[in-house]
Amino acid sequence: MQRLVDLFLSLKLTVTLLALSMVLVFAGTLAQVDKGIWTVMDQYFRCWIAWVELPIFFPRSMGVPGWVFPFPGGFLIGSLLSVNLLAVHSSTFKVLVRGRRMLVGYGLLALGLLITVGVVLGWGTAPVAATESDAFWRVFFRLGRGTLAGAVLFAACWVLYKQRAGMVLLHAGILLLLVGEFFTALFAVEATMTIKEGETATFFDRSQQFELAVRDTSGVDVDRVTTIPQSLLKPGKMVSVEALPFDVRVRGRMRNSNRPMPLDSVSEEARAFYPAYAGFGERLYVARAREVSGATGERNAPAVDVELVDRETGALLGRYILSVWFYPNFVNQVWDMPTRVQVKGRAFELYFRNRREPAVSESGAPYAVTLLDFVHERYEGTQTPKDFSSEIRLVNEGDGIDRELRIWMNNPLRYARRTFYQSGYLPDDGGTVLQVVRNDSWMIPYLSCMIVFIGMVAQFGLSLKRMRKRELS
Amino acid sequence: MSRIWQGVALVLFVLFFAAGLRPERGVYDVDGFAHLPMMDEGRRKPVDTFARNLLTVFSGKSSVRTEAGERLSATEWLLDALAGREQTLDYRVIRITQLDLLNHLGLEKRSRFRYSYRELMPALPKLEAAAQAAGQKDSRDRDLYDREAIKLANRLALFQLTLSAFEDPRLIPADELFPAIQRYMKLEKEDLPLVVPPLEADGNWRALMSSLSAAHPVMQSLAAENEIVVNPLALRWGSMMAAYALEEPDRFQDALRGYQVTLERENPALLKNLRFEVAFNRVNAFVKSAALYLLVALMSCVGWLLRREGWLIWARRLLIWTAVPHTLALVARSLLSGYPPVTNLYSSAIFIGWGAVLLGVLLEGRGRPNGMGSLTGGITGFLTLLIAHFLAGEGDTLEQMRAVLDTRFWLATHVTTITLGYMATFVAGVAGIFYILAGLLSRRLDEPTQKEMDRILYGTAAFALLLSFVGTVLGGLWADDSWGRFWGWDPKENGALLIVTWCAIMLHARWGRMVATRGFAVMAVFGNIVTAWSWFGVNQLSIGLHSYGFTDSASFWLMVFCLSQLAICLLGLLPRRFWRSGLKAG
Repeated sequence: MQRLVDLFLSLKLTVTLLALSMVLVFAGTLAQVDKGIWTVMDQYFRCWIAWVELPIFFPRSMGVPGWVFPFPGGFLIGSLLSVNLLAVHSSTFKVLVRGRRMLVGYGLLALGLLITVGVVLGWGTAPVAATESDAFWRVFFRLGRGTLAGAVLFAACWVLYKQRAGMVLLHAGILLLLVGEFFTALFAVEATMTIKEGETATFFDRSQQFELAVRDTSGVDVDRVTTIPQSLLKPGKMVSVEALPFDVRVRGRMRNSNRPMPLDSVSEEARAFYPAYAGFGERLYVARAREVSGATGERNAPAVDVELVDRETGALLGRYILSVWFYPNFVNQVWDMPTRVQVKGRAFELYFRNRREPAVSESGAPYAVTLLDFVHERYEGTQTPKDFSSEIRLVNEGDGIDRELRIWMNNPLRYARRTFYQSGYLPDDGGTVLQVVRNDSWMIPYLSCMIVFIGMVAQFGLSLKRMRKRELS
Repeated sequence: MSRIWQGVALVLFVLFFAAGLRPERGVYDVDGFAHLPMMDEGRRKPVDTFARNLLTVFSGKSSVRTEAGERLSATEWLLDALAGREQTLDYRVIRITQLDLLNHLGLEKRSRFRYSYRELMPALPKLEAAAQAAGQKDSRDRDLYDREAIKLANRLALFQLTLSAFEDPRLIPADELFPAIQRYMKLEKEDLPLVVPPLEADGNWRALMSSLSAAHPVMQSLAAENEIVVNPLALRWGSMMAAYALEEPDRFQDALRGYQVTLERENPALLKNLRFEVAFNRVNAFVKSAALYLLVALMSCVGWLLRREGWLIWARRLLIWTAVPHTLALVARSLLSGYPPVTNLYSSAIFIGWGAVLLGVLLEGRGRPNGMGSLTGGITGFLTLLIAHFLAGEGDTLEQMRAVLDTRFWLATHVTTITLGYMATFVAGVAGIFYILAGLLSRRLDEPTQKEMDRILYGTAAFALLLSFVGTVLGGLWADDSWGRFWGWDPKENGALLIVTWCAIMLHARWGRMVATRGFAVMAVFGNIVTAWSWFGVNQLSIGLHSYGFTDSASFWLMVFCLSQLAICLLGLLPRRFWRSGLKAG
């Protein structure tokens, strides 16, 4: 037991863990040549045990066997480092002051923590925050809030720890950053919102989750939509939903599928293995594709290969390839390709699409975003984009909000705990794609940046001063 | 006495930099032509800049040497090419270094790897086929040959495009005019150099060929009803080209004067800064500074090893002097582009060099010179400016920023801090190399020197950690501000994180007494590898969300660099008995 305690009290452990983290980050970067950034994140960083592939360290042409070996993952290294940090600090940096000085110190500490919490929770910020001026002031104020928290905390550390104030503060900032990123990894959600000019959107497309949506279009007034989340779509599984007259048998799942191409344009041997699909698969070739490289910033296009089975007779109604390539918001609304099926006189439209999430504010009231105008500026005589911007109207009747706002490059809108960023555009500049992110710990990096900065400057300033003194003596 | 020598040296120094400023003289007023404004890659610039960039893209340098040994400036070369003079075909300006590609194209390997268009002509179909085959591959499966084939084909296409933009449609027979105009309309959707300025303040620039097509006799006969006005500046340009092609210097001069007078009268705002930019191009301050930094490094090396204080004083003096034009050129670049100093790989190299030189001056201090500052500043300044020189071959280094990168605030804070972080790790690395080599090969590394170097290494590493940490976090904040992701494990972010982590490891190892000065020096040298990988290596993986540079021969040199640094690390780990400077441990 004592040896374990000693282990956590040693800087050797710190150095070892940091070195391991370098290997992990290096491996996770190299892995992005072959894999998408989200796959790599799950496989290397946001996990306890990472599975590192041997071939990533060699040029792909060498044909190194695809062995995989376990390595401490991001969560494991991060938490061990945190424990190590806390252990070292609690044993070496003790509060030595007593009496009034101690009270003042703890008082300042409480104040600093209160400011920190306030900054994280966004006390005193507007509910609908769009930038009207330059990015400069907005970021400056955010860093200013971080500086305020950092300065008060530094004062507390100075009273409590004296010469070691910088050291304590900078490590507290690092710890805060680690914790913040841990929460981001667990809870942040990324989505997009695609809106044509003049149209209104009331939902988001989750970027990393997918679902099979079946729309019953045979109703007179309303269409009924049934969705099956991706977690149920496991190869070999049969999915039954009450509302549908058919069952879905999953033949396969693809992490990435190729852009649909005419079946007669692919090679003989590719066609020989291609299943006999009904629907689009009858004339289009859509099959498993190599994952996109995380380094290029492209997206994977997942797909499912399903059979629809008559629930009563068990008869096969057809085998379909359903790819997000057919979903209009995935292809910036260049096309819309619902897979249409007739079962027992009822008409259905099938999509494999990004999971849909309704736009709802904190109070539970739904809101809508209308794109009034989209502007795309280019540099003169080139195709190089200079600026994109979306004039939008945000309406939330429940909360009594009706505002016209502008979202443009590097100038997002913050509303209802979500942030709306200008991210892309539809062909011929006919509409906008907004990236919508919900991340409740987004202010933490601003805070820890300034806290660590203050701590480091204090610490290094001190050691420089000591050196100078030694030099003189 | 020393004062006189200083004065003489200073005069020589100023002359060295001012030498490039004298105008180009000749039968034609090339100098006037070089100062004409144009719009290219979204930026208004003088013809001089355009010509230099285009020529550098092809040949890797900004002038041409003809077979006869005559030296042509970039503007003269451009004039020859645009006017379609026969001898343009024989200028050796196309640089092809990939041996397999040369072989495939049936070209002999030659010393400077530069070929003329005429030599390349028979091989053009082969090149096109090779580039097309390469283009069809997944970018991850392309080898060096494929990439070079694509690059060369793209360069030639760029050249074709440039030539098309300067066609004179007035010579086209009437029945071929409309297909030609259709072709022009298609070309106008590409990134063309535009040389016909607007006559009113907020008008648009046009390409020469489309402006001149309005002057075609057929169009003019239609004009009776529709009033087609031809921009007079376009006509002057056309006359200049025609006069140059027909070798009539007087008519060329007349057209040029006419152009200058008209523009001065109609839209003088377009002439702003052009003289300044041409002068900036001609002074070529970065290349000259690089040469002087090399001199500084050599002088301080000799002075330090032989304990000659005079050499060190002169090295420090020259370092400070050279920092002045370096700084001015950096500011000039910033003024011309309207952006903070670092916007691309090229400018990051210049900025790293600049930071290292300033840090060097700081380390030297004002009292007796220790040589360390001149040495690290000189070497880092020289190497980074050399790297910048090789990076310049990709086009305009003062390019406009893509929408997502265009935030001056972040460019000024994040990019400069992180670049200074790179700089500090490199300076620490250079000091580490010097520590190891001096200790191993000379007896110069005595106890006081060792203490001094320890202070320099520690101070620089701490500075590097501070800058790279703040720079990295600011980068994350930019990402959060632009697309809502503070940290996305993007290759460029990871590269920066590796530097921060390595600096942290160095300092913790030192605080935990796991290493003393020698170990710390070895670690600092390894820091060079980490930083170089972050600076260049991640760009080689493929282009990430915010990679801003990609060059191919860079991979090779990166490899060479890393191996050399590893070798130095291993040397540093040799047991004490192999060290000529007999130091006590610790």
